[in-house]
Order: sequence, then structure tokens, then C-alpha cells
Amino acid sequence: MMRKPIIPIEPKESQYGVDPILVKKRVAEMKNMVSLELKDLFPDLPPVIYPGGDDAIENVRKASREALYKVDMSMIKSNHTVNVLASHHGFTLLGGIPYAELLKIVKDVIIERTGCRNIRLRAGVGMRFRETEEYIKRYGLDEHYQGHAIGIAPIDEGIAIETEVGTLYGLKKAYDADWIVHTHHTDVREVHFHRQVDKAVKPFGMSYARIETRSTYHQNLGPRAANFTARAIFESDFVQKKFAFAAFLNVGPHGMIDVDADNDLYAVNDRATFIGCQLYGKIMTLFGEIDECIAVLDFPCPVPYVFAAGVIYANFCGANGDLYDLNQSLPSYTWYTEAFYGKNGRPILDSIPDMNPAIKMCVHNYAWLGYPSAFFSKYIPTVVVGQEQSDLFDTDPLNQEYMDYAVVCKTTDAAMDFAYRTTNTDKVIIFDGAMGGINVSKSLAELLIEKAPLVSEKVDTQLLPKWLKQRGVDISILNKLVK
Amino acid sequence: MKKVTMLSCVDSDLCIGCKICEKVCPVLAIKVINKKAVVISDRCRGCSNCAERCPKYAIKMTKRMNPITIGIDVCDFDNEKIRDLCLKAHFNPEQILCYCVGTRADEVAAAILSGAKSPEEISLITGIRTGCTIECIQPLLRMIEAAGIELEPVPNGWQWYGTTVTAWDISENVKEKYNSRGFYFEEDKELLDKIVHIKTDSCEEGEIK
Repeated sequence: MMRKPIIPIEPKESQYGVDPILVKKRVAEMKNMVSLELKDLFPDLPPVIYPGGDDAIENVRKASREALYKVDMSMIKSNHTVNVLASHHGFTLLGGIPYAELLKIVKDVIIERTGCRNIRLRAGVGMRFRETEEYIKRYGLDEHYQGHAIGIAPIDEGIAIETEVGTLYGLKKAYDADWIVHTHHTDVREVHFHRQVDKAVKPFGMSYARIETRSTYHQNLGPRAANFTARAIFESDFVQKKFAFAAFLNVGPHGMIDVDADNDLYAVNDRATFIGCQLYGKIMTLFGEIDECIAVLDFPCPVPYVFAAGVIYANFCGANGDLYDLNQSLPSYTWYTEAFYGKNGRPILDSIPDMNPAIKMCVHNYAWLGYPSAFFSKYIPTVVVGQEQSDLFDTDPLNQEYMDYAVVCKTTDAAMDFAYRTTNTDKVIIFDGAMGGINVSKSLAELLIEKAPLVSEKVDTQLLPKWLKQRGVDISILNKLVK
Repeated sequence: MKKVTMLSCVDSDLCIGCKICEKVCPVLAIKVINKKAVVISDRCRGCSNCAERCPKYAIKMTKRMNPITIGIDVCDFDNEKIRDLCLKAHFNPEQILCYCVGTRADEVAAAILSGAKSPEEISLITGIRTGCTIECIQPLLRMIEAAGIELEPVPNGWQWYGTTVTAWDISENVKEKYNSRGFYFEEDKELLDKIVHIKTDSCEEGEIK
């Protein structure tokens, strides 16, 4: 079952990371590393169209077209304006090309089916306000949208939106059209934040929203009620009158499965909830079985978002608990948890779990700034590779303390040697975005192979029914997924 | 406490005087004068909002020759008053409000007790909301409101627009309507209340914030 390592996603030029030339070595290239294909670990994972053979991108385009030809676009008239709304994270999935292709095909099909040509791309971000500007250029979206493609940030001009729970605020440029198209994906990413509740709706409270709304999510409502901000905005008359349809990349931890387009976002949401709980839930639960390891960050995105088999590092830091179980209020890491650490460096509330004790050390070979990450280096021994990377973090207003707690090694080899010697474990998990599988050490591969069948059964028979019930999702959603 | 190591720097040749930098600065440290942006160096807290939103890439963040340290010593203020204000806003005094800078509720309370009346003034004193500038705006507004100070957004600015719903405002109708979809409103309110009322040592002898 063990294979040679999968080539990781390459470093990318960005103002948020070090120059790719400084990333001299990837940990997946090192001795004793292997890969596991997720289909081998969990044979019931559905087939994917990407990654694939030479025709994989063409298949993404084809799936996008087919899905988009099934939705109702009759509300869009040729003299109307349409904003295609996108979010930054889609561009980090599977190298970014599938999401970029979907965004291009959305525009093309709207033109073909409605005659409307005034179509703009509005791509939202998180905390790195120029991130989607970089993607727009990298993937040629500025050309495809004929100059009408911009990044939008949460500090940009806002617009008040009246909701069931009072006024919330969206980004004016997200909504300055007759119609909006919500273009997203089913990747789970921040399960610690959204807890897989209304995940498909989340961008209405995040990447399309102003700071007031995002802060409501992360500070005002609590860890399991947070994502209601997104639903409140989506349910508003203001948004409902503009919402045309949703187009989603159906992705699992192993690749892109299909494209899901629908006029009913809640139908997409139910299907996304199933994918999030079952497919990603299995990997997440499997990672919870890891008893000890060195976690390696080796991917072009901020510290918490680097991912392995669809699981981000932030979620691995909470893998000692069940992130999907809504009866557990606070995971080991989420902002509400971080907020509740007192001045003595311990949680104010005794029931708050520690960061995943299986992570004996973190080797930060390559990851970006632009997200407050000091909590990770404060509570998990962290070695950063290269003085340049360390210096870059010191310039980041979001990470003025990250390097106060991390140490620097000159090379990847030295960092890994140090980690092996001081942790006494040779189990390594690499968060490098490897497509279709996961790069790990042989010793960890053995553990994962042994545990996967038991985890699969536990998720299918015990956890999944509980998770779906907690979210009001009928398990018969399975039937609708089999198209 | 925040060590301010960065400073925004304007390239006047590129600046078009559009005023976006003015509208997004959380401490009002940049102003357009005679159609060119000018940075007030001792006010700049290095958040980089101006640089990140400048449409002409005319602003760069540079390392300060002499970094400055900002913060407020909560021990200089009446502990009970700090606690009362935090509780009124539904925060534990030790609760972290700003995930980037690490500013806690008691520091914001102390800044308000020292006379600060706006988010901009509090940010200037404590450093709160000078990292990502996004996530701590509501707690900041809630603290000011709890102190009985009227909130007035910066005229023509995009710094912030207003307060929003909290766990304590959700109506029974909304709870009933959406509980079955996985929103644990009541349970989360109970959790937040529990946190608020845990007694912590807000001020240790000789502590310098």
C-alpha cells in the first residue's frame, strides 16, 4: 500500500511567503518518507475526476458545463449585471486550477444561456487582503473576465444588510449587481470554526462580509452558533433578491469528485454536509488515532491552513477531540478557545482540552504569514527553517509573537534531525497538500494502514449518524448523492 | 502590550489622493493633504491596512528605525471597575479580545477608564485591532457601549459601521426556528456566561502589561 512520495504543491510567489527560491528542500523528498493513497486507506471514497490523466482539466470543464446547464438561469436577462462571487481558499485546492476553471466556465455558460455579458468576478479573502489579486493574475482570470475581476477585502466599503437578527454588513462590491452567483467548494477547511454547520453558506458571513459580520461570527455568538451570521445574511431579503444560483466544486480529501450547481443553496449545503462529515470525517478521525508524531508544514498558505489529505494543521491540533461532535463545545484550537486562555497561560475553563498532545514538534519548513499563529508556536514546540522565513514573520502585524516562541534551524535537514532527536519519534506527517494521498514516514504509514478499516467502520456506523442528526441532515441524503 | 516594529511609508509619486488609506486606518494615522497621503509616524501602529488596500501600490511597510512599545498597565486602575465594565460587556477580564496582538478585555477596560472614548483611541493606546484589524471590532464596540459611551463612526470612514447581534440578543423565535440545523444558541450562551463569571486574578502585584 505504501508508494513513493507524492510531489507536493510547489512553493508560490507571494507577498505573504518567502521567495520560492529559498525553499531548498521539501520534507517529502527526505529519507524514509512514503505516500498513502486515500483510496487505498478508504476504498469507499468515490472516484475523482481531478487529479487524473491528461484529460483531467478537460473533465473539470465538462463537469462544470454539465452542472451549470442544469440550473435555472432564466432570471438573468441580457441587460442585467452579474457578480460571480469567489473565495480565496478555492485557489489553494488541488493546485488551484480546478477552481479557476470553474470560475471561467461559470462566466462562459451565463453568457451562452442568457446573453448577459456584464459579468464580474469578485473574489473575497480572509486576512491577506491581496491574496485573491495574486490568484486572479496567476490563473488568468483578469483576462477571462476582461478586466472585470477584483479582489475584495473585509475592510472595503460596506453595505448594511437587514436580517432576522438585526443589521449585519456585507461588502458593497460583492453585491453591486442585479444577480450574484455563489461559487464555492465542499472542502471543509476550518471545521474548528464552522463545525460543519451550514458550511456551504459560510462565505456570506466571511469572504463576502465586512469586519463587523466576521467579528460577530468569531466573538459574539459562541463556537457552535457562530455560523448563523452567514445564514442570517443569506436569508435576508436583500441577498435572496440577488441570489441566482450556487456552483460548487465537489471535492473530497482525495480530489475533485464532481461539480454541484443548484438554485437551492440549502440542497447543496445538505450534500456538502454529508461529504464534509463522511469523507473528511474519516480522515479527521483517523488522524485522531495518531499517538505521536512530528508535524511538518510545507505548503504555500498560512500556518493553520497547510493541509494533508484535506485536513488542515489547525484541525490536526484539535484531532485529540471530535470536531464534528456538537456536544463538545470547545475544540483544542479555535479562536473562542484561544480567547479563553488566561494570563497564566492556561485555559480559564478546566474543560478546555490541550492542543493535540500527539504533536511532539512542528517543523515549519514552508508556510505563509497573514494569520495570527502565535498560539501554535506558544503551545507546540516549533522549528522554523531559514532565517529569512523567521525574519518575514517578524514583519507581520498578525504575528509579532510567532518567532518569540519558535526556534530557527538553517536547513530542512537540520530541523528534521533536531526533531527526531528531541522527540524520540520517527513518525512524521507532512502537511504539503499532496493530491490524492498523504506523505508520511513509513512508521506512521504502518499505523494509519492498521487503523483505517476500524475508523471507517466507526464513522459509518456510529459517528456519521450522530453528526448528521445533530445538524438536522437526513441520512437519506445518500440517495440524492447517487445521481 | 505591542511592539510596533513597522511603519507605513508613502511614495508620493504614485499616490493619487484617493483617500482609501484614510478610510481603512484603524488609528487615523494617515491623512490626505493636498491630494497626497501623509503618515503621522508616531500614530502608525503598523497594521498595513493602508498598504494592502492602496489601489496604486503607493504605500510600503518599512521597518522602524526605533520600534515603539505601546500598552496600558491595568494595575494603575481600580480592579473592581475594570471587572464591572468587562462583565457588563459579557467578557471575562482576562479574555483575549485581539487574537493578533493578544490584548485582553481588562486592558481595553483600563483604556476606557483612562479616558479613551472611541475604538481608534483605544487601539492607539493598547494596540488592539492593529493586527488583522477584523476580528476584534465587535468586542471593542461592546466594551465602549458598556461604558455608556455613544458610538460615533468616523465620518466618511470605513473603519467600522456599528454593533451587531450577540448571544444575549438572539430571540426565542430564531432559536426555535434554527436549533434543529445545528446552531447551539442557548448552549453557547451558557458557555460564554460561564466564562464571564469565572474569577481570575486580573492584576498581579508589579505586573507590567
